[in-house]
Amino acid sequence: MLNFQKIRSLLFYLSLSLFFAGLPFILSFALGYKFNPHTLKFTKTGLIFVKTQPDGAKVYLNGKLTAEKTPTSLHELVPGTYKIAIELKQHYPWKGEAYVEAGKACRLDKIILFPLRPNLLQLNQEKFSSFHIDFEKKFIYYLDQETNVVYRSNLEGGNFEDIASLPEKFTSIVGWQVADDKNKLFIFNQHQIVVVFFDNQADYGYADSAVFLDYPQEKIINVFWYADSYHLIVFTDKYIQIIESRTQAHPINLVKLNKEATVAFYDSKENLLYFSDNQKNINGRAYNNLYKLDLSSSPVLLEKLMKKDNE
Amino acid sequence: MNKRAFLRRVMEIVPGGLSWGIILGLIILSIIHPVISALIIITFDFYWIIRTIYLTTLLIMAHQRLFRQKNKDWLQCCLELPAIQGFSALYQLVIFPVYNEGLEVLRPSLEALSKSHYPKEKIILVMAFEERNLLAHETAAILENEFTGKFGAHLSTFHPDGLAGEARTKGANATWSAREAKKFLDMQGIDYEKVIVSCFDADTCVEAEYFGCLAYHFLTSAKPHQASYQPMPVYNNNIWQAPSFARLIEISSSFCQLIESMRLEKFVTFSSHSMSFKTLVEVGYWPTNMISDDSVIYWKGYLHYNGDYRVVPLYITVSMDVAYSNNLWKTILVQYKQKRRWAWGVENFPFVVDGFMQNKNISLLNKLRRSFHLLESHVTWAVWAFILVVIGYLPLLFGGVFFSQTAIAYNLPKIAGLLFRFTLLTSLTWIFLSWTILPPRPKGISWLKHVLLVLEWFFVPFIILIVGSIPALDAQSRLMMAKYMEFNSTLKGNKVV
Repeated sequence: MLNFQKIRSLLFYLSLSLFFAGLPFILSFALGYKFNPHTLKFTKTGLIFVKTQPDGAKVYLNGKLTAEKTPTSLHELVPGTYKIAIELKQHYPWKGEAYVEAGKACRLDKIILFPLRPNLLQLNQEKFSSFHIDFEKKFIYYLDQETNVVYRSNLEGGNFEDIASLPEKFTSIVGWQVADDKNKLFIFNQHQIVVVFFDNQADYGYADSAVFLDYPQEKIINVFWYADSYHLIVFTDKYIQIIESRTQAHPINLVKLNKEATVAFYDSKENLLYFSDNQKNINGRAYNNLYKLDLSSSPVLLEKLMKKDNE
Repeated sequence: MNKRAFLRRVMEIVPGGLSWGIILGLIILSIIHPVISALIIITFDFYWIIRTIYLTTLLIMAHQRLFRQKNKDWLQCCLELPAIQGFSALYQLVIFPVYNEGLEVLRPSLEALSKSHYPKEKIILVMAFEERNLLAHETAAILENEFTGKFGAHLSTFHPDGLAGEARTKGANATWSAREAKKFLDMQGIDYEKVIVSCFDADTCVEAEYFGCLAYHFLTSAKPHQASYQPMPVYNNNIWQAPSFARLIEISSSFCQLIESMRLEKFVTFSSHSMSFKTLVEVGYWPTNMISDDSVIYWKGYLHYNGDYRVVPLYITVSMDVAYSNNLWKTILVQYKQKRRWAWGVENFPFVVDGFMQNKNISLLNKLRRSFHLLESHVTWAVWAFILVVIGYLPLLFGGVFFSQTAIAYNLPKIAGLLFRFTLLTSLTWIFLSWTILPPRPKGISWLKHVLLVLEWFFVPFIILIVGSIPALDAQSRLMMAKYMEFNSTLKGNKVV
C-alpha cells in the first residue's frame, strides 16, 4: 500500500505540475497568443476561419499549402494581410485577402466554390421560341412560332411530346400562358387573343377548336388566366377587363385605366390582381398608384371607388 | 440562536451558496463578459482532463489491487498470524439495519453471510428491524428459524419509533441494535476490543473471504481501533437484469469508490463498512438524526481520536442491488433520489466544521485541509456536469458579434472537443474495467447484453447531468434552506432496500 501511495503522490504532483505548467499555454493559445521558443516570448496573433461550400477544399496561405482542409481555422497568424487561395478539384478556385487583427478571428465563411463543368443538360428535343416552366405540376412547355407547335416535357426533359398546334396565321406573339387546368393555353398579340386546347383532351366539354378573341379598337398589354381557367383577365391600353374564353364573348370592364403601359401581377391562388396606374394631382402632375383588386369579391365596388378618385 | 448553532447554520449554507454562486456567476459572466467566462471554462476543462487522467490511473491501480487480492485465502492468513495477535478471540458482529425490506432481499444477504469462509461461531448476527414495520416480527421469526445454528448468535432487535432526539434514519436503527448487541456482549462477557462490528445495507452480500480479510487487516493494523474498514461496494446482485441507465450509474459509483480507496487522506466510509466495536461505543454509535450515518461515523472517530483516525481500504467486494424500477422514468427517479441521498452527505460539512471548532487537539492545517477536501468534493460534484455540459457553450450563445470575432470564440469549442476525446479515451478504460468486475452472465441472458454493456457508455454525457450534478445541487439547496431530508429507502429492482 505504501508503494501505491508513493506512486499516487508522484502522480498527483505530476498532474498538478502538468496543470500549472500547461495552463498558461492553453490560455495563451485560447486567446490567440503564440509562444516563440527562441525568444521565450508570447506574441499576440489572430486567426482566419475559412468555410466553403462544398467543404474539403485545400487552403493556401500566402501561396503555401496548409495541412488543413475547409472548414478550418488558420491559427497563430501575426497581425497583417494574408493572401488566401482555396482550391477544390473540379471547381473554380477562390482567391482573396484577409486582414488579421491580434486576438481576433477573420471570417471567410461565405465562400461558394462553383463547379468547373456544371451538369449541363439539354432538355428540348425540338426547336422552340419560348418556354414556360410549371414547377407545381413539374412540366416544361415549349412554344415554337415557326412551326406553330406547343411541346411539353417533364423537368428533366423526359416525356417530350407535342400537345397543341397554334393557328397558322397568328403572328407577332407578345405573350402566352398555360391555364391552371393544364388543358389549354392562350397566346396573344396586340389585337387578338387565341385560346388553344391541348390534344387528347377528350373530356374537355365545351370546345376543341381554338377560340379567337379580337380587340380591334384596343391594344392588348397583358393577359392572365383567371383562377377558374375559363375566364381571362385582359389588360388593354384602356381597361382591365374580364372575358370568357369562348367565341363571341363580351368583356366586362373592371377598371378604366389612365395609363397605357400599366404593370400587373395576378395571384391566381388568392384571386388578387395588383396593378399600377396614373393619377394626376391638383397641379396636373401625374403620379403612380399601386392597386390591389380583389377578384374574389365584387370588382364593381373598386371601379366605383377609382372613378370617384379620378373625379 | 447561540453562536455555535449560528456557525453551524452558516456552514449549512456555504456549500450550496458556493455551488449556486459558481453556476450563476458563470452564466452571468457568459452574458456580460464572455471572454473571461470562456477563460474560466477552458481552465476548468483543462483541469478536468488532467483530473480524469489522474483518477483513471488511480482506478487502474485500485483495480489491480482488487484483482491481486481476489481469491486470496484470508482466513489462512489470519490463522498464520502469531497467537498473540488474538485471532481466536476475535468476534464479528454483523448488523443488518432493515427498513421495510422483505425476505426476498434479506434471505440472499444472510445466505451469503452463512457461506462465509470464517468460523461461524465467531459471527454474531443482528437483524435490526424497525418496530413500525408491521411485518418485522414475522420476518424476524422466519429468518431466525431458517438460519438457526448457522451463526454464533442470531439476534433480532426492534427499534421503537419516535424516540426523543431521533430522526427516521438508518443510523438510529443501527445504533439501537448496537446498544442491544452491547447488552448481549456484556452478558456473554465478550471484550469490546475483540469485536469488529460491520454495518451492512440490507441487500449486502459479502464475499466468502470478507471476514477473513477484515480480521487480517484489523489484527495487523498499527492502531486497529483507530480505523474504519471499507470494502469495495459493487452492485452485482441484479446487474444483468438492471436497465443500462441504472447499471451504468452503479458501475460508475463502484469505480468512484475504488478511486477514493487510493486517496487515503480523503477516504471516508461509505455504505457498508466495519470498525472496532470498542470505538463505536466510545464515539457514541452512529448518529441517530442524520441520514449519512455511514460517513458521519468516520468523522466521529476522527474527532474522537483528534485526527488520528483513518479508513483502511479492503480490496474485497461486497455486492449490493442496482436501484431501478419497472420503467425508464421511474428508474431515473429512483436513481435521482438515491444519488440525492448520497449527496446529502454534504450535511457532514457543518458537522465536521462544528466538530473542528470544538476540538483543540487537531492541528489547524489538518482542520483546514479536511474541511477544504469535504467542501471541494461536494461543490465539484454539484457544478462539474453543469460547467462541462451546459455552461461551456454559453459564451458562444450569449457572446454576441464581438465575442464571435475573437480568437477565443474559435478555440473554446476546439478545447471542449479535446476534452470530449480525452473523456472518450478514459471511457474505454472504464468500459474494459467494468467488464472485469461483472459477475458471470446468468442463463437466459443473451450475449448481446455484453455489446449493450459497451454501447451504454456512450450515454454517459446525458446521464451525468441527470444523476451527476442535479441531485447534488438539489441536496445542497435543501440544506441551504434548512429543508432537511428524511431517510427514504431506495427501490432496487423488485425489492426495496
